[in-house]
Amino acid sequence: MYLAAALAILITMVLALIRALSGPSVYDRVLAVNLFGTKTVLLLSVVSFLYGRTDFLDLALAYALINFIGVLAVLQFFESRERSNTDEAQGQ
Amino acid sequence: MITVVFSVFLLTLLVITALGVVRAQNLFTAVMLTGIFSLLMAANFFVLDAADVALTEAAVGAGISTVLLLGALGLTPREERASGAKRWLALVVTALTTVVLLYATFEQPRLGDPQAPVHQHVAPWYLEKTPELVDIPNVVTAVLGSYRGYDTLGEVIVVLTAGIGVLFLLGLPGAVGDRPRDDIAKGRTYLSHHLVPQVVGRLVIPFILLFALYVQFHGEYGPGGGFQAGAIFAAAMILYALIEGEREALTVISPKLLIWMMAGGALLYGSVGLVTMALGGNFLDYNVLHSNPVAGQQWGIIVIELGVGITVAGVLLAIYHAFAARGH
Repeated sequence: MYLAAALAILITMVLALIRALSGPSVYDRVLAVNLFGTKTVLLLSVVSFLYGRTDFLDLALAYALINFIGVLAVLQFFESRERSNTDEAQGQ
Repeated sequence: MITVVFSVFLLTLLVITALGVVRAQNLFTAVMLTGIFSLLMAANFFVLDAADVALTEAAVGAGISTVLLLGALGLTPREERASGAKRWLALVVTALTTVVLLYATFEQPRLGDPQAPVHQHVAPWYLEKTPELVDIPNVVTAVLGSYRGYDTLGEVIVVLTAGIGVLFLLGLPGAVGDRPRDDIAKGRTYLSHHLVPQVVGRLVIPFILLFALYVQFHGEYGPGGGFQAGAIFAAAMILYALIEGEREALTVISPKLLIWMMAGGALLYGSVGLVTMALGGNFLDYNVLHSNPVAGQQWGIIVIELGVGITVAGVLLAIYHAFAARGH
């Protein structure tokens, strides 16, 4: 059962990666990275149960706690760019 | 078997992501893909049972490296400049290196081969002797802090040197005067009018700090230690700086204190070595720290891990502030 869950998460990771690679807009990529981070947390949790090493859940906890800092930094980055020159918010 | 399938799958995704980073003309896209690269790397370490390394990659890669790369991006143009130089030479060199590396992999033992040299040399000795000599469950911490304490001291010095290098190039705001300069003092937080990040951030910061302390002091029993704890602590302070402004963050941990943290951690580590020498042992031989050699080892590891954590946190925060102050 854990194996099936792990495989499902891996497939979702592939989908997120495709979105991150193809874009087209910058916000698609931000969202894809965020989704990828969440899937990594899930994958680590499931794999630690699959291997019976539940003490490794600390890692998933670390990700869950600090994963969104990067997204906040992206948000701040765009806000500051928008204020300095307004026409750059739309990527590629 | 499952491990191999997972690893191959994750490594394939890793290669695709790496190609995406190379192909991306927009540097912001490259930064985002680098984030995915780091996540995949950590997952791969985890699948291979290297939880301590995975935790380091998680602590640095999940938050801090993206933040630092974005800080650097604030100082550069957004698009990669088209290089006019001839590329065929670079292509030939890369192709040759690839062939050499691929050739070298044929010499490598298979994954998990019990006859591999790495399982024949010192590793069995570490596994066998750690319960007797150091008596902590996490052998990685024993190897890192005690058996190979010199290496770890060297790594801390490398981190410190990297921090010194960045500060020489960019400068730490307000490090010379007593208080931060006025231009950072304007409270330039772009997130101050976003309620959700603010509330969530304020709620989460204490837990991140608590988790950093847990990782710091639980390193003997589970995955963790000074490097990871320092990075998580720095992540918490960076989050504080993002939602409350750099000025507030610099009042909590002043630039002077940051510099003391950078040097002080490495100094603490080195002075443990000097203390052991003064007590009649070898440099970083913790046996002499306590009448019971096992307790001495444990004390030594706790103190040097603390030194590592302080230096790593100080260096990461100093680099962040240096970039952030320049970005405006």
